[in-house]
Amino acid sequence: MLTSRAEPAAAAPVVVKASEIVKRYGGLTALNGVSLAVNEGEIFGIIGPNGAGKSTLFDILCGITKPTSGSVEIMGQDIGAMAPHAIARTGVARSFQRTAVFADATVFDNLLYGRHASFRHGVIGRIVGSKAHRDDQAAFMARAEDVLALTGLANDRDRRAGVLAYGVQRRLAVGVALMADPKILFLDEPAAGMNGRETADFIALIRAVAPGRTILIVEHDMAVIKELCSRALVVVDGRPVVVDAPHHVLRHPEVVTAYLGADDE
Amino acid sequence: MELSPTPLSALSAGRADRSRAARDARSARLTKILLAAAVAAIAGFGLVVSDAFILTLAGYTCAFGLFALSINVMLGGIGEVPLGQCLFFGVGSYGAAIGMLKLGLPFEAAALLGMAVAVVAAAAIGVVTLRLTGAYFSIVSWGLTGVAMVAAINLEGLTGGPLGMFGFPPITIGPLQLGTPQTYFYVTAAMLLLAVLFLVAVRRSPFGAAMESVRQNRHLAQSVGVDVTRVRLKAFMLSAPLAALGGALCVPYAQIVTPEVFNVGNTVDGLLMVLLGGSQIIAGPVIGAAIFTLIPHFLELDPNVRILLFSSVIILIMMFAPGGLHQLGLALRDRLRRSNDADQSR
Repeated sequence: MLTSRAEPAAAAPVVVKASEIVKRYGGLTALNGVSLAVNEGEIFGIIGPNGAGKSTLFDILCGITKPTSGSVEIMGQDIGAMAPHAIARTGVARSFQRTAVFADATVFDNLLYGRHASFRHGVIGRIVGSKAHRDDQAAFMARAEDVLALTGLANDRDRRAGVLAYGVQRRLAVGVALMADPKILFLDEPAAGMNGRETADFIALIRAVAPGRTILIVEHDMAVIKELCSRALVVVDGRPVVVDAPHHVLRHPEVVTAYLGADDE
Repeated sequence: MELSPTPLSALSAGRADRSRAARDARSARLTKILLAAAVAAIAGFGLVVSDAFILTLAGYTCAFGLFALSINVMLGGIGEVPLGQCLFFGVGSYGAAIGMLKLGLPFEAAALLGMAVAVVAAAAIGVVTLRLTGAYFSIVSWGLTGVAMVAAINLEGLTGGPLGMFGFPPITIGPLQLGTPQTYFYVTAAMLLLAVLFLVAVRRSPFGAAMESVRQNRHLAQSVGVDVTRVRLKAFMLSAPLAALGGALCVPYAQIVTPEVFNVGNTVDGLLMVLLGGSQIIAGPVIGAAIFTLIPHFLELDPNVRILLFSSVIILIMMFAPGGLHQLGLALRDRLRRSNDADQSR
């Protein structure tokens, strides 16, 4: 059962709302009655031990997986019947845990692929150099320069994404997600496999992109959650345990026994 | 939206921007030079070569090159192996033949009819089969060519049955006699060049970017707002009329259309051309088509030796550059750039 829940701040509207999410795979119940409400502008964490159902919850929240029962609303819109690309176009971006970038493309082309869904010109416009094409191109170039500078990738722009170091690829993944200027950013274990230096760089990057956005992070690394999140939800065995500020969450008795008891620092 | 680049990164971004603009200008100039070279090569080949057989073979190679381009829209474009692509090639051939013999249409109208039927067929087939990916899509599309072959054999009233269709009137496009080897070559080469230019424009358009993002990582593409199913269907519907045009333009050369056009061997030939020339270069399949048909002719290779030779080459390509020969080029470029970077930092 949920034992404590921080009240959403009165002013900020809820932009991601999940109600009583249940997900069953055959006889296995991966999620059992998880609800959450993420406020606009918040950095919200989802944590839990391996196999707790974090990733399933994450996939349901961004519409990749459909829940067995329960509903997800993003910016007031029920996403139950929406295709993943349609959800993306409402201003939601996600980064993947694996295969996070277009490995065969250059850094610059990765950013192009991140943006082109919002282009308004077509093949004919490209051939004749229409105004829509020039406008799209100008907007893309300006945006790409900003994102390259922000992610520190300006000097790698012509390198193939597949040859970049792991931490750099993760920064690029965030860059790709930022190209469409999403209002909500979902990050799936962004710091997994990073070394300490890469993690610190990554935390700085997320802080820099956070203003004006709502960010939802699934993460195993407690340091990342403590550094970034205003609130975190703990999931254990598919059920929600507590939602609170990270330092409160970590002291919660059930969390200590169920999750941190094993590998507390 | 707050994005505040530090002065240092802004500086380097500006520098890179200038070098990119310079590179874009270079690449635009290179495109023009390549285009001029292609036109000159086509004109020169048609003027210099007087051997009617070579000219006709070159024309046929261009027609088959269109088919290879069509295959590469699927393979190089969205990463599917379209074993059933000869279905559209056959629809083009039969469209031209039926249009001319049964409907009394001029060749160009008959060819357009075949292309239109191919687009409609691709839409109908694609809606069902493009839910599948990888080997499943390949096998189902291959199966459909078997259906087409059985239909072509049995619909004798329409297709002439197993004997096929032949005895065409002189084939012309407007005032151009496709029976003349030089004219046939010029027409097919011009069509091929136009198709390449069109595909270059497609590649550089948002749709081209969408196809490439789907090929490389469909899940990520979906998450940045690409309608993956729609992009795949559009690519399929783009590839079909190209194959049909190739099929129609082979009719003046073959002078007969039989159910054998639906043989998967045709697709395999086209695939070999794509792999030889490189799937990530738009003109790659054309280069592959030239290698595939002209070189064995000049080397006077026995067909069996040819199969042995090409099979070995394909195995080598698959071992060392499974994405096509362009991969070797990419690897080389990366290595050069790395050693360059190392030199600069020293």
